This record gives sequence, structure tokens and C-alpha cells, in this order.
Amino acid sequence: MSVKIDIPSYMKSFTNNKGVLEVSGSTVGECLNHLVKQFPQIKKQLFSKAGNLFENIIISINGESAYPEQLAKPVKDGDKLKIVLVVGGG
Amino acid sequence: MLTTNERERYDRQITIKGFGQEGQEKLKRARVVIAGSGGLGSPSSIYLAAAGVGKIRIVDHGSVELSNLNRQVLYWDEDIGNKKVASAIDKLKRLNPAIEIEAIEETITEANVSRLVAGFDLVVDAMDNLPTRYLLNKAAVDRNIPFFHGAVYGFEGRAMTIIPSKTACLECIYHGATIPEEKFPVIGVTPAIIGCIQATEVIKYIVGIGELLTNRLLVYDGLNLKFTELKVKKDPNCKHCGHLGREDRK
Repeated sequence: MSVKIDIPSYMKSFTNNKGVLEVSGSTVGECLNHLVKQFPQIKKQLFSKAGNLFENIIISINGESAYPEQLAKPVKDGDKLKIVLVVGGG
Repeated sequence: MLTTNERERYDRQITIKGFGQEGQEKLKRARVVIAGSGGLGSPSSIYLAAAGVGKIRIVDHGSVELSNLNRQVLYWDEDIGNKKVASAIDKLKRLNPAIEIEAIEETITEANVSRLVAGFDLVVDAMDNLPTRYLLNKAAVDRNIPFFHGAVYGFEGRAMTIIPSKTACLECIYHGATIPEEKFPVIGVTPAIIGCIQATEVIKYIVGIGELLTNRLLVYDGLNLKFTELKVKKDPNCKHCGHLGREDRK
């Protein structure tokens, strides 16, 4: 099963400068785990030491927010995920 | 009624289809709070003043620092050390003497936020931190005042328009998420773009034209020059607005 994930520009330094990657999994969590498996350095950008997705990360599935329980949300072949960071500067 | 001077000043926007003198008169009657007078507040206040919003209240507690000048275009080198609200009001009054501009030098807190937005029609979120954004969001929801969110980081920007009781609010999307307090990096063009998007939304809302940026968070990626959207829904369990209307849940 192939799912595409859009990496934000500020995280591309952890993915060999690749902006869109292919991952596999049947849930958002599995897809992120596959992403981390390919690019281990991105893990600290996404997950706390306890393994929880940071609260300032929103995952979208085909343009829609996956909140709540984002990691458990099912994905299907051809879905597009995107990592969106909550920002607060002005 | 518009004066002869106003008809000439705003001629190029009055002639926009759907705008007209009626739209200009709506702008003239509008009262807008701009919460924060920094990177986002600079462009939004400049363009709302230039567009002829009749009354603008600017709230900010800071003073102009050298490191502000890469993005806070209301302030110039000569303003360093001055109170931001004093410099802002001076510039904006010189830009458009025909409108009323009020500057309040206060830190927005839970205790004063409701008072600061009371009596105004719209609130622009031009803050530099999430906790104060949540205070403003709740106050706007409680007072049923449309709220125009914007935020930036580096080359990244976000914007969304919130119509209380009808559309998702800031808490519906972010659920109180916080980020570590830090000196955030930013290039001036990012808040320029997001601040102008906020001003665009304010003008559209007041005039009553176009489609608002509601129930969708605009995600701007300046490094790749891409605009994408995150569709969001009003959360029935939202701590700020869950108890309000249900129009968009059909």
C-alpha cells in the first residue's frame, strides 16, 4: 500500500531534502513509523521521548485534519498525508 | 455618506465589482481591533487604514527595538526606543487622517481581554504567542465577534477566519496546543503576506463580498511558494465554542 507524505520545508533537512515521500501503513501512526524507519533523524521532530506525537503537530489526510487520535486514523492506498506545524509567531 | 475627498481617495476600490460606495460606507462604519502591532499588525493596520476602516484600535505593550525592523514595517530606525503604539498611531494617522485610530498600551491578559475587544466589530489576531491567541479567540467567541487569525514562523505562515457559532475556531484546530517560548525566526515578507491576507479577509467580511477563509486553515510555505489548506470542522466538544450554534454540522 502506497501513501504519500508531504514533509514541511523546515523538516526537509532530516529527509535528505526530499519534500514528498512514499510510506506504507494502514494507519497514520504506521505511516509515520515507516517514515522514521527511513529517516531516523526526523523522529525527534515528531515524537516526544515517551513516543507521543507532539501536540504542535497536525497530520492531515487528503487535506483534512486527522485530529483527534491522529495516529490511529486509518489510511488507504493513494492517500496523501501532510505534516502541519502549529506556529505562533507574529 | 462619503465626502468628496473620500470618494476620490477610495475611487480605485469603490470601482471593484460588488464593492461600490455602499461597501466603502460599510468600511467607514466598521470598528476593528488589531491585537498586536508587530510583524502581522504592521501590514494589516497599514492596509486597513489605507482602505478606510473607520475606527481602528491597536493594542500592544512593547517598545520598538532594532531587531524588530526586519519585519515590523510600521517602525523605522528613528522610532527605536519609542512605544510601538505611539509610533504606530503617528504613522497611520499620517497615512489616513480621515479615520479614527486609537492606541492602547497594555499587555493582553485574561483579565482585560474582554474589555479590550468590547464595542468592536472584528478582531485581528496579530499576536506573537499562542496563549494570548487563545485568550483572544475565547473573548471573540464569547462576544460573538469575528476573529481573523494569522501566525508565522520563518518562511511559514497560517491564516484562518473565525465566525463564532458558525465556523471552527482556533481552539477547534489547535486544541490548546502550545509551543516552547522562544525567539522565533522570521523573514519580514512572511508576516507581510499573512498580515495582508488577514486584512483581505477583514475587508471582505465588512463589505460582504467573496468567500471567507473559514473552516480551512491556510498553510503558506514560502520556501516552496505553496499555499495549501487544512480543512477543519467545528468541534462540538470545543472548550471555547462547543456550546454555540450548530449551523455547520448539518
